[in-house]
Parts: sequence; C-alpha cells; structure tokens
Amino acid sequence: MTRTTSNPAPELSTAFPQADEIGRWLVREMQAGDVRVTRFERLPGGAIQDNWMLDLEVDGGTWAGAHELVLRTDAPSGVSVSLTRAQEFAVLRVAHAAGVVAPQPLLLCRDLSVIGREFFLMRRLAGIAVGHRLTREAALVPDGDALAESLGANLARIHAVRQTCAELKDLVPPAADHARTTIAEYRAYLDCLDDAYPALEWGLQWCATRAPVPARATLIHRDYRTGNYLVEGGHLSAILDWEFAGWGDPREDIGWFTARCWRFAAPDKEAGGIAHVDPFLRGYQRIAQRTVTRQELEYWQVMAHLRWAIIALQQAQRHLAGGERSLELALTGRIVHELEYEVLHLIEKNAQ
Amino acid sequence: MKNISDAADLMATARNALLNDLLPALPKDRRYAGLMIANVMAIAAREHRSGGDAIHGEAQRLARLLADLEPDAATTHTDSTGAELPKLRRALASAIRLGYFDDPRHQRALRVHIARTAADWVAISNPKALR
Repeated sequence: MTRTTSNPAPELSTAFPQADEIGRWLVREMQAGDVRVTRFERLPGGAIQDNWMLDLEVDGGTWAGAHELVLRTDAPSGVSVSLTRAQEFAVLRVAHAAGVVAPQPLLLCRDLSVIGREFFLMRRLAGIAVGHRLTREAALVPDGDALAESLGANLARIHAVRQTCAELKDLVPPAADHARTTIAEYRAYLDCLDDAYPALEWGLQWCATRAPVPARATLIHRDYRTGNYLVEGGHLSAILDWEFAGWGDPREDIGWFTARCWRFAAPDKEAGGIAHVDPFLRGYQRIAQRTVTRQELEYWQVMAHLRWAIIALQQAQRHLAGGERSLELALTGRIVHELEYEVLHLIEKNAQ
Repeated sequence: MKNISDAADLMATARNALLNDLLPALPKDRRYAGLMIANVMAIAAREHRSGGDAIHGEAQRLARLLADLEPDAATTHTDSTGAELPKLRRALASAIRLGYFDDPRHQRALRVHIARTAADWVAISNPKALR
C-alpha cells in the first residue's frame, strides 16, 4: 500500500530507528531462517499514523520469498479518537474478510518491548490516492462511473458488518442515536473554545431539530472519501485509513463521501469529485439492498461539513495551543470558513 | 502615491518572489510546502486588506440582531468596533442553541447575518470557494 509508488519523498526516507528490532521480531513471527530488510522508508503523509514502506526477503518457513509491505505504527502525536493499532488491525481483518478492497493485514505486534509502540504489517498495494489528481486527471480515472459504483459497493460491504462480529468486541459500543450523540459531542467541543461559531451553531441546531430516526448501527469507516483510497489502472485498488472506524449510522459515511468538501477539483461531481451520485448509490444499493433519499443525503452532507469543521478547529488548536506549530494545521483551521459557508448553502437550499 | 511599500505590497511582492523565483528551484517534494506558504501569504494579505471591514460589519450586524432579540438589553450590545465581537458571537450562539431562531419568523435576520459573515470570511480565506 502506497500513496504514490514512484516518488517517495527523499527527505522523509530516513532509516527506521529500530529496524534491527523489527528484523529479529520478524524472524520469530515468521519462523524464518533469515529475514533481510531490503527497503525501509517512511511514506509521506500521516499526521496521526506513521507508515513505512518495508520490503523483505524471507528464507525458510511459510513466508519464504519476497514481500512488499507497509508497517503502520503510531505517530508521536496521536489523536485520542483514533483506534489503537491493534483495533485497526482487527477492523482491517474483518473488512478484508468481508470482501472490502483493502490492504491485507498480515502481522500485529502488541509487545511494546519490541519498538515501544504497537505496529502491524499489511500488504502494500499500488495506486494513487491524491484527491486533486484523481479528480482532475482523466487518464487516472477513465471511467468515473465505474469507480464510483465500486466505491459504493465497497462501502456497503463495510456497512454489512454488524455489532455481533466477535472480532470487533473491543470497539466502543454504538450510541443509541448516532446523529444526536455526535451533535452533542460537537457542541461540547465548541463550548471548550474561547470564540463562538454562530454559523456552526445554526447548522447544529438545524440538524438537531431534523435528526432522523436512528438507523441500525453498522461498522462505519468515518473517513471514507476521495484521498483515502488507491486507484490503480483506473480501478479501485484499496480503501485506506481505517483509524477512525467504529459503530455508527451508515448514512454518515455516505454523507461524508459525497460532501462538497471532499470533491477536490470537481465540486460538481457529488460522488467524491469522480462521478455523479447515481452510480455510487447504485453500487451501494446492489450490495446493501437499500439506499438513501435525497433528503437523507443532504442531511448527512450538512453533518459531514459540521464534523469536518469541528476537526478543523481541533487541528487549529493543535497548532495554536497544543505545542505542534505547523503551517498545515494552521491552514486547516482556515477551512472552517468554507465549511460554514457550505453548511449555510445546503440549509438554504433545503429551505427553498 | 505612497513612497514606501506598505504591508500588503510587501506581502504581494514576497509572494511573487516565492512563486516565481524560489518555487521552480525547489525539489519536487518541497513544492507542496512552498505552495502552502504562498497560500498563507495570500490569505494574510487579503485579511490585512479586508479583515477590518469584515469584523466591523459583523459586529454592527450582531449588535443590531441582538438588540432585536433582547430590546431591554440593547445598551449592552452597542459595540460595533470588533472589541466585543467574541462576546456578541457567544450571545448569538447561545440564542441559536436555546431555540430562539427555530421559529421561522425570527430566522430572516439571522440567516442574512450569518450568510454575509461566512461569505466575508470565505472571501478572505479562499475566494475561489465563493458561489
């Protein structure tokens, strides 16, 4: 799994500080005669997770041969709402087993004596994830409808996983009413800030007074959007970034995927900037045997912009007050204005 | 005519130097950081130019809106300089959350105000997003 296969950023290609410890652990886990690390380079991105490109040559045992992997571990500054690596590994295993196009998870290390942090290994898949390229360069996505349909179908496969799944018993149980619970969380966060955000309050009030009858909780990805999947040869090759997954209302994922804020260079293409919404919902319905109404779609798009606005404010706080001075975090905070603007636009559209 | 550059001119000149002179010389993997800096400089220049007006306009509208909301407390909301803006925003946010504007008869002035405020700040942060 890699965001761009051809250009790993040279300045980030620092050696993994505990490569020897990983090597010895692999020999034990793989019950191999020898494991040679032929490449160990940091992958770009990942403010929350630390991802490394890891190539191995294994002698002996059932793993004998060459492997192209990704090692995923916690970044020094984790975000509390994200899953632990062990939980994420479990989610990825369940999703992969459910037929979701995702990197195959291979080995998990919970032993903190190895590198001091949990980590797991997964199969590396080729492809491009960069949102502004996928939504701009027709050569990368020659058939947007087909890609959108595939993304709809894969989202439905995630949503087919129910709370009865024994492997995911460690995840936080679902709220009885996902919409109202998240609205209360967003309000509680706004109350912690020095400044107030009337446009976000208006959006939250609008959503609170129109909160839908709760849907049965399913596994939801919570960051299912363009930028978080790989496309290779025009086709979906992997759904990435599972660290926010949990139980919730599946319509939240649909609103998030189709929200204008994740359409990059093609805001008129409602399905993540790659196609119109119909093929996406068609793919979803084919697997889920259910779809969403226009009204539900727009309700959850308002919720998506509110959620992203809250996250953007949190990122700004990391920069301003959290001791993580960063241009990227500061700029993310400025997105709040656009998100407010879009919330108001959607609400006005619904008022007409 | 001015005799020396003001802040807006300095920022615009520095941004041009970054985009035209430095960016082409940067390695490919540093290009994103260069573009982020150029973006920040453009936002800062726009805020320098029109941030004061946005704050002033928002504070004036808020003072009027809150005076309509609580006529008895009108004297406490006469500020239009921006110094009281955090307090005014908080008062409006509380009224929204308390449901005062759930009644459609009260909504018009609110909707006009928040739409205008959001548009003013998008014009500073990312004018391309305006519709």
